[in-house]
Amino acid sequence: MNEAALLVNFLIVGGLLFVTGMVGFLVRRNLIVMFLSVEMMLQGISLSLIAWGRFHQDLGGQILVLFMIAVAAAEAGIALALILMLYFKSHTLDAAFWHDLREEGQPPFIDQGLPETRHEQPQWPRLTPAGIRPDVNQDEQLHRSQV
Amino acid sequence: MDRIDALLLLVPALPLCAAIVCAVLGPRLLRHYCHVPVVLCLIGACVASVLLFRAVPQARVPAAGEPLTSVPFERVVSVWRWAAIDDALPTPLSSGSSPRPAQFSVDVVLRVDALTAMMLTMVTFISSCIALYAAGYMRHDRGYWRFFAYLALFVFSMTMLVSVSNLVLLYVFWEAVGLCSYLLIGFWYEKPEAAAAGKKAFLVNRVGDFGFALALFLLWTTYGTLNFHDTTRTGRPLDAREVTAAAARDQAVGAPAEQVVQGVLSPSRITARNYVAGPVGLSICLLLMLGACGKSAQFPLHVWLPDAMEGPTPVSALIHAATMVTAGVYMVARCTPLFMVSPTAQLVVACVGGGTALLAALIALTQFDLKRVLAYSTISQLGYMFLGLGAGTFLGITSGLFHLFTHAFFKALLFLGAGSVMHAMGDIIDMRRFGGLRLRLPITHATFFIGCCALAGLPPFSGFWSKDAVVASIEERMHALGHAEAPAEHAVNSATAAQHPVVESAPAHAETIYRGLFWLAIFTGFLTALYTFRAFYLTFYGPERIPVEAGDHAHEAPPVMWWPLVVLSLGAAAAGFICDLTYTRQPVHLFAEFLASTPSLATGAAAATRGPYAFHASVAAISVVVAVAGVLLATYLYVGDAREVRWLKSLFDFEEFSRWYESGQRTNWHARPWVAAIDRAAERIGCRWLVRMAGQLLLLMGFVLASPLLLGNFFSPYKLSFHKFFLDELYDYVVVVPLQLAAIACNFLDRWVVDGAVNAVGKLVMALGSLMRSLQMGQLQFYALAMFLGVLVLLAAKLILIVG
Repeated sequence: MNEAALLVNFLIVGGLLFVTGMVGFLVRRNLIVMFLSVEMMLQGISLSLIAWGRFHQDLGGQILVLFMIAVAAAEAGIALALILMLYFKSHTLDAAFWHDLREEGQPPFIDQGLPETRHEQPQWPRLTPAGIRPDVNQDEQLHRSQV
Repeated sequence: MDRIDALLLLVPALPLCAAIVCAVLGPRLLRHYCHVPVVLCLIGACVASVLLFRAVPQARVPAAGEPLTSVPFERVVSVWRWAAIDDALPTPLSSGSSPRPAQFSVDVVLRVDALTAMMLTMVTFISSCIALYAAGYMRHDRGYWRFFAYLALFVFSMTMLVSVSNLVLLYVFWEAVGLCSYLLIGFWYEKPEAAAAGKKAFLVNRVGDFGFALALFLLWTTYGTLNFHDTTRTGRPLDAREVTAAAARDQAVGAPAEQVVQGVLSPSRITARNYVAGPVGLSICLLLMLGACGKSAQFPLHVWLPDAMEGPTPVSALIHAATMVTAGVYMVARCTPLFMVSPTAQLVVACVGGGTALLAALIALTQFDLKRVLAYSTISQLGYMFLGLGAGTFLGITSGLFHLFTHAFFKALLFLGAGSVMHAMGDIIDMRRFGGLRLRLPITHATFFIGCCALAGLPPFSGFWSKDAVVASIEERMHALGHAEAPAEHAVNSATAAQHPVVESAPAHAETIYRGLFWLAIFTGFLTALYTFRAFYLTFYGPERIPVEAGDHAHEAPPVMWWPLVVLSLGAAAAGFICDLTYTRQPVHLFAEFLASTPSLATGAAAATRGPYAFHASVAAISVVVAVAGVLLATYLYVGDAREVRWLKSLFDFEEFSRWYESGQRTNWHARPWVAAIDRAAERIGCRWLVRMAGQLLLLMGFVLASPLLLGNFFSPYKLSFHKFFLDELYDYVVVVPLQLAAIACNFLDRWVVDGAVNAVGKLVMALGSLMRSLQMGQLQFYALAMFLGVLVLLAAKLILIVG
């Protein structure tokens, strides 16, 4: 099997991975599944990079992929933490539940099968006010010389 | 720099220092001692002015064989060059006036001559008294430091105004005086009336200042310089000796003076009578007069002065006596040589002055606000001053200035007395609310009496001598025009008039007009005595009435307030017969004699009208009789019960007529039996509507026929006087309302046309944006899809580019 045919095979597999991931991202509402789909798209890209690297006899593609794996690992940690926090706030993993990024004054797009209400806003801790207000003589302020 | 120069610089410098010290240190450091630097500096300036006053007549150097009185004296001190423009070479309207115009430069140059020395002494003396009084009067005010800073600045502006030697600087300090008056009239800016009065004073003065500015432009194009003194072409001041030397040199060579630029009011120009007559000269004078009308509150522009009463009382005294309103009189007197070439302008000045004097006196008759009566009396007395200036003779001009001098004393005295009444009455100034205060306020009563006598023109108080001199000068002018008008003038001027045909003959009917003005001045003297003593009796006589605002401690003012009153009352009593010695064996007028060394009066056209001093016994007799009649009438009317006053009011207010008119209005016509009978009869025949219509028509015709009477109901003499001849209302409808309508139109244009265009652009962008906004619905998947489709579109475009 010559190199060009090998490249085509790899690219087909990479493309399939990418498209599968993208369709998954577009049609699923579960945050974790969407995240998995994004990862799948990433792998599709990685595969095509490796294939092109081999085709061109260039190690840059593979190095880039190694790099991407490292970055993806870090990104997965952050993304999972975010998902966890969102779950704590709403007790659901449905992406349609969150539509706060819409334009102000625009009616939200309501998907089917959403839970009725959101949980109340969390109570963040606050600093207690300290000290006393300084005593200002309004009369004095009015007749102060102004520069 | 010799003694005169140093004193001249010191007089304005001291108030300026006081103003700066007060403004910088006042609010934090000096607090309740703010009056100390101001009073000290003003007294210092006063001492310097008096020294200057004594030094000026001694500094004259007569040439051999020349009488001392006709030697002009002026001293010019150059301080620094403010601005210089080399290329500003105008083309003079008339070729003869100034062949080589100077470069346009504004030099801060002070001058002193007799007129300036007199004004400086008067201004600083009166302001020192007022500052001392204000230290007591304003004691409890929160803006104590602000008041004294403004006061010192005001005095500085006025001393500079009378001592600068350049019309541009005169204009600058003219405006500075206006600014200070605005600040001080609106001193209690939290009170809406005070803020409005300050604005009104400022705006009305702008009208006059506009005329003054036009006069300056015209002077510049006509004479090519705005300096009073002679200069070189580069603007360096020349003294008289250098000018004479240059002239002698040029005469030897036979060429005109090339290096010397004659100042507008310099002795050399006055002596040579090098002035432009005709329409240009007349316009200059009329525009200058418009400026003076604004500042000195003459007829068309007098409306700001009564409203200026909203300021603190010492400010009223300062404005009325020393600083503000005298500026116009000073300016016209200073520009005497310009007015001398245009008898028409002099006639206008005299008519404006006389008309204002009568108008203000009529208004003052019915006012109940004590300070307002005094304000209208100021306007009236300023009218007298302009009457004197308008007589256009040596006697007239000096008497106008003499009246200014004595008026400063007694008007400051009267205002400070009114202030001390206000002080005791808890800031109540309406004469209907208090009365019989002579026992409560003995010192104020005595000094106020002296001021009233001076204002009413009773001998031997000062007002009598000066007012009399004004009236006498009008009479003299009238006789001069009547008997030997043209020949006498030509006999004096024939030598110069041949070279410079600048002396116009007086306009037709001038004699008749001056005769009218003479009787008008006499009649105004009667009114003056009447309204002055009306105010005096209403305040100090009758049953004792004290308003509730005064509480139960209505008392005489503290010594710091009554000492200035005593000092001023001495001046008001004695300034007349000390200065005017025409009643002695060798009649001489010390004041006029002093002023005679002013260049404008020492040589030239004004000096040509100078005659021997004389006591005008007939005029004095008439005015004494008239003034005593006024005082007696006031005594008869206002001491005791007010029955006659009520009768006079009903007479002049057409009260009978209005009662009759109102009863006619109230009548219920249908209740009359004969009307009802006609009505019923008409109904029975069936033509009731016809009868009704005929009745309506009759009513309408009655209204039309009676309209003059109805007008009489609204505009009775009493109402005219009480409402100040409705001039404020007239200005409201003629000037203010149209301007407000224009402002509304401009507001509409700005808001809906200009702003509308700008807003429309913004609205368009927003409308475009709202089309796209519905896509931002917050669904995550849609965003991803949009991103994907976008990438597809880009790829497709790329492919098309590659293929096609």
